[in-house]
Amino acid sequence: MHIPDAFIPLGQALVYWVIALVFIALALRWARRSMGEEKIPLVAVLAAGIFAIQALNIPIPWGTSGHMVGAALAAIVLGSPYAGVFVLTLVLLVQGVIFGDGGITVMGANIVNMGVVGGFVGYYGYTGIKSVIGNAYAAAFIAGWASLFVSAILCAVELAIAGTFPLDLGLTMMGTYHAVIGLIEGGITAVALYLIASARPDILEQPIGVTA
Amino acid sequence: METKQFIIIGVAIALVIAVAAPFLASGNPDGLESAFFSIYGAKPFMGDELDEDAAGAAEEQVIAATGNDFAYEALMPDYSIPGMDKAGEVLAVVIGTLLMLVLVFVIAKVSARPDN
Repeated sequence: MHIPDAFIPLGQALVYWVIALVFIALALRWARRSMGEEKIPLVAVLAAGIFAIQALNIPIPWGTSGHMVGAALAAIVLGSPYAGVFVLTLVLLVQGVIFGDGGITVMGANIVNMGVVGGFVGYYGYTGIKSVIGNAYAAAFIAGWASLFVSAILCAVELAIAGTFPLDLGLTMMGTYHAVIGLIEGGITAVALYLIASARPDILEQPIGVTA
Repeated sequence: METKQFIIIGVAIALVIAVAAPFLASGNPDGLESAFFSIYGAKPFMGDELDEDAAGAAEEQVIAATGNDFAYEALMPDYSIPGMDKAGEVLAVVIGTLLMLVLVFVIAKVSARPDN
């Protein structure tokens, strides 16, 4: 879902950069206040794992593929939507600058779509759904799916404003493809949460069982 | 599990994925690219065939429409190393994974208040 430079006019791309910078500043404030010494290596490992798994495009029907984004997982494990913003901003920076994956002028839009929306939908989706159904892994699956789907819908709206996609076709196609790709996001989010919770339940900001 | 062990296993999993990704990853367009090609007539919405000529034309068409012709030559474009084949792709993703590890560690270290 990495938007390339050509898809959004420069003026609009700048607006998304401004929005992204506000959330990056808030994410840095979160890191300053909440990131304990023992969490720093965990955040680094999580980011490295998210980068690697983003390179693994999984085929879906219709000659298309998709990969995990990982903002929901980072937000759930580290207990803040800003963790998703923090990790995804750095992942997208390296992908754009070193690997040409995702544009430079439009990086703000990609940070908003994947980092901000992914982090917030992932985190609040997870906590909200978990408090209703009680099962952390099912909640992580649904929140992971929703984080990717909502990112794709917002992306379609931005590209409609940009004049690149007609709104109806963009929503239909982005929605259809990402409803399927979201299953990858949800599945890996739930499995990774299970592995982390099994190995080190203490590092999760929120216990897997009863809601604190 | 001790923290050190947890970190080592975490890094090992990330590196295994990084090495495997170039061999396993699908070369199909991703969701956004697929939607783009479909909208610009280079690929059916629910079909497999991509018309390469139409795809190239679509890219020029969209640059003309948005006026954003910003071009940038990345060091390792599309997770590859120019002049190298599969080995270059593996190396690119491994370098990226290790770079993330170091970069995020440093940024997190600098951002966090030391008394947290």
